[in-house]
Amino acid sequence: MGVAERDMLPTVPGAGGEPSVLTTRLDAVVNWARTNSLWPMPFGTACCAIEMMASAATKYDLARFGMERMSFSPRQADMLICAGRLPYKMASVIRRIWDQMPQPKWCISMGACASTGGVFDVYSMVQGIDTIVPVDVYVPGCPPRPEGLIYGILLLQEKIRGEALANKVLREEDPERVGRQNLPADVIDQVALPYGNSTQQNRVSGLVSTTAIARPTDRQP
Amino acid sequence: MTEKSFDEALRGLETGEEAGAGSGAPRGAAADASSHPSVAALRDRFGDAVLHHTIMAGDEHVVYVASERVRELLQWLRDDAGQRYDLLVDLTAVDYGGGRPLEVVYQLWSTTERRQLRIKATLPLTALEIDSVVEIWRAADWLEREVWDLFGIHFRGHPDLRRIMMPDNYAEGHPLRKDFPLRGRFTRAEQTRRALAMAVEDFYTPDELAVTGGAAPSGTPKATESASEGGNGVPDRPNDPDWSPGTSGSAAGGAPAPGGAQP
Repeated sequence: MGVAERDMLPTVPGAGGEPSVLTTRLDAVVNWARTNSLWPMPFGTACCAIEMMASAATKYDLARFGMERMSFSPRQADMLICAGRLPYKMASVIRRIWDQMPQPKWCISMGACASTGGVFDVYSMVQGIDTIVPVDVYVPGCPPRPEGLIYGILLLQEKIRGEALANKVLREEDPERVGRQNLPADVIDQVALPYGNSTQQNRVSGLVSTTAIARPTDRQP
Repeated sequence: MTEKSFDEALRGLETGEEAGAGSGAPRGAAADASSHPSVAALRDRFGDAVLHHTIMAGDEHVVYVASERVRELLQWLRDDAGQRYDLLVDLTAVDYGGGRPLEVVYQLWSTTERRQLRIKATLPLTALEIDSVVEIWRAADWLEREVWDLFGIHFRGHPDLRRIMMPDNYAEGHPLRKDFPLRGRFTRAEQTRRALAMAVEDFYTPDELAVTGGAAPSGTPKATESASEGGNGVPDRPNDPDWSPGTSGSAAGGAPAPGGAQP
């Protein structure tokens, strides 16, 4: 990061009317814009959604970080927040919403159930939404406090600042993958069986590091 | 509940060796019919169809009736001038496990007489079929669909018997039955694949899917084969690169092949 954020803000040097000129890296200015205008697509299915609502309300005030508006249309959203457990019946819904969101887009898996299935290691529940959609940040907790969600969002902003426009892999989407699961079948089985995702993921997946930002691909053995 | 009785209860779940379990005899000591006016009236009118009457939790009157006459009996309970059970509070079912018969439960409330009554009908696992009461209480529509979905009890004469809780392409059986494995019969990979393969357009009419202005659902839903155990009209994707038979047939707990026969 060659340029500090505050240096990129246009300034008017003096009142003499000279044109304002700013030099910066394209990555820096694009990421600065993306970072500070993340519009969340709230996908609240359970108690985590209550905490998400609290995060957006006056006391915690997500708008401080650029989430001015909960975007209830995926077409205008940048960030999918899955707050709560996801039953299999909703799997195709969240996948469709994810596919409808335009790039650039990110995903936060909020809470134990969305991240791993949590206590719901049962017939009806998806064992981690990263089997369905790619997840950028996992927020632990049951449910996470608003501070937890906000910390997750700040981590996501950190991640966005490190992205490069030249990296085409980050933003490319394969039309063939629309409506498909995110992880291969054998990986889904490995993370979910025999004792469920929440107790198995580190041992089975071979995921050594437990850094806060983890791509689902990190789990592949 | 003491620890001892808890252990006994668990053993009963596994083996069905509870007192009278094999015969499916109703539980609870027989109560005095005169303690509830409706029970006395039921005994007078229906005689042998009223199998047993007991009191649970102090004042909950439970009447076991013959399942083949349940519709006629409930119709009378709603319409008779002395009964007027005009509100179907709940309709559900219970599986006590161990091969014991399932019980269909009707919880009734009379708004005029301010009385409640619980009617139960037992169904052996080999003949899970009972008359629908949708014609008597419209509220029974979705409740019976739910019982069908989760327990697999077929309601004769139901206008639209199909799944309501589980996805329409669900083919693993009826989850609330005691013989149903906790994690389902398929592997997680196969469950995920099927969940994503489901398109709601295949199962609902445009009217039902309309967010606003949709007409009330009427006529014939597209998934008319739902009553035939599991719905085989699954929009499968044999070309799905994420799926192969080798990865999905190896579930813990001996899952059958996907789309296989129901046990």
